[in-house]
Amino acid sequence: MSEAATSAARRKPNRGYGRWTPLWFLAPAVLTLLLIGIYPTIFALVTSFRRYNITRPREGFPFVGFENYVNVLTDSTFWSSLFLTAKFYVAVLPIQVVLGLAIALLLHKPGMGLLKSLARVTLVVPLATTYAVVGLVGRLIFNRDFGVANQFLSFAGFGPIDWLSTQDGAFAAIVIMDVWQWTPFCALIFLAGLSMVPGEIEEAARLETSSKLALLRHVQLPYLLPGLTAVMILRSADVLKLFDMVFVMTRGGPGSATDLISIYIQRVGFRIFDLGTASAQAILLLILTIIISRLYIRLLYREVH
Amino acid sequence: MTFLRLDNIKKNYGDAAVIKGVSFEAEKGEFVVFVGPSGCGKSTLLRMIAGLEDVSSGELYIDGKEVTYEEPAKREVSMVFQSYALYPHMSVFENMAFGLRMAKKPEAEIKAQVLEAARILQLEALLERKPRALSGGQRQRVAIGRSIVRHPKLFLFDEPLSNLDAELRSQMRVEIAKLHRALGATMVYVTHDQVEAMTLADRIVVLRAGLVEQIGSPTELYDTPANTFVAGFIGSPKMNFINAKVASVSGSTLALEHTTFAGGRLTLDTPAAARTKVGAAVTVGLRPEHLTVNTGNPVLALTLDFAESLGGSTQLYARSEGEPIIALTAGRPNLKPGDALTLSIDPSHIYLFDAAGLAL
Repeated sequence: MSEAATSAARRKPNRGYGRWTPLWFLAPAVLTLLLIGIYPTIFALVTSFRRYNITRPREGFPFVGFENYVNVLTDSTFWSSLFLTAKFYVAVLPIQVVLGLAIALLLHKPGMGLLKSLARVTLVVPLATTYAVVGLVGRLIFNRDFGVANQFLSFAGFGPIDWLSTQDGAFAAIVIMDVWQWTPFCALIFLAGLSMVPGEIEEAARLETSSKLALLRHVQLPYLLPGLTAVMILRSADVLKLFDMVFVMTRGGPGSATDLISIYIQRVGFRIFDLGTASAQAILLLILTIIISRLYIRLLYREVH
Repeated sequence: MTFLRLDNIKKNYGDAAVIKGVSFEAEKGEFVVFVGPSGCGKSTLLRMIAGLEDVSSGELYIDGKEVTYEEPAKREVSMVFQSYALYPHMSVFENMAFGLRMAKKPEAEIKAQVLEAARILQLEALLERKPRALSGGQRQRVAIGRSIVRHPKLFLFDEPLSNLDAELRSQMRVEIAKLHRALGATMVYVTHDQVEAMTLADRIVVLRAGLVEQIGSPTELYDTPANTFVAGFIGSPKMNFINAKVASVSGSTLALEHTTFAGGRLTLDTPAAARTKVGAAVTVGLRPEHLTVNTGNPVLALTLDFAESLGGSTQLYARSEGEPIIALTAGRPNLKPGDALTLSIDPSHIYLFDAAGLAL
């Protein structure tokens, strides 16, 4: 034992207790985060500055500066994937927000206690479902010959649609599955926001206007904005890394109809094994996510006191 | 002219009856106060008038029109809440203007109305502030301002002063009274504070457990309470009650027995004598402020337990069977705990109640 340690032991500063207690409680979480969050990010950052093709280990992994980044930014497939991802986000988010808000408003109405708590529990089911399973379910629903989607269409008198083999059909299918999975999340967030509105404030407004829309717009909306901001941030981060569901359903096809950015990155990294380029793409996405989040917070987030 | 009429209004939550049939009428311009202990249903009743709570049965009329099932906004009533209920994200001006905006009034009129209300309530300097930057008293003023700009038919107040400190409370009380006089509007005010009820009301409705105990002007309730509940509720300190027994009745002369009475007996000349009989239980009510100390003709002979000096007056607590007898007397009588205390009272100030607690 070193001299410092023995003298420390003599003075008995108890490191397992007192002001050290929070440290020990935090340590496991912080260490885990470092291990699975920070370390891979730093690894990706370093890799993104290297030529790192693991099928050609003999060439080594030399530093190439910003070469990977230049390649990515001049790659038209990267941009079209990113554009497709944006299109996907713009397609799903309004539907999820509107449907989610409608569900939240219905559940916020007084009465029907048991049915409502049942509905609230049901809302968690899609959220708790693994993306890959959602993809598998999607494949069954949108199967051309025995899928439920086409059966419903036949009831309405429409002929079968070959969902997953046509460009528009496949895109619509992944949009529908994403809406299925994420609308409940929006509903829960908005429901929480609605329950934040103090009862007496809602009542004061009901004495002044009988319009439900005015109540929503002027009294409830301010309480929903923080939740909406959270939804937008989480959803844009999530859409940028959305992989499993789409991969299971369509593998990015047909053609490049559902080739979202994360599927493209996965292909570059694990089909072409160009990890340097894939890392650069991932880092660029990370930066994009942070910028988008800051923008949302700046533009939308208003705390109600 | 009857302006507000409640006709056998009832409210049930499932099997629990909260309001068990309340009927009552108010004239235009009257200031009516609902008073009662917590849980008596006074707030529920007010919220039913506002339309925020459904009426289980009965009918409700405002200004000659039945509004029992009308939407709150269409009843043309305004309400001041205990928590003020200001819109937190709107400025003071916007808070007051909201109702007028919703009613699609022209902008110039909105501005004129809000500025007028702000002038009356001295809020002109605060119009741009958000509610969170205001003190409790200022918030309450804004809440009142919001209710007056719309010129409602009926003003409702739900314990509006409960969240304020004592000094501000009495100040706002005076302001509400002034406002009532200035506007001449019909107001219904809920409180559990009998001082607010006494000072503000033209008429008080005393409620207990969903039923009306008595309706009357503050002085009527004070002078002729219908029962022991109202007698005990109105007046501070609370009325003393002595559970005596009738010893003899002859004509209009009534003799009551209790150890607290001087000589064990209290003899009274009262028309109530005819309504009771020998051996019946009678509750004698004596207001602390009517009792005088150590003058001739003692009614009560007691021992002083302790005395609280309030400066200008003294509150005396005397030992007796059951609850202590309290007397409120001017000045500072020279008495020590343990001293004999004789109290007398003008016989016209003696209240008598029967075994069921109803006034005799």
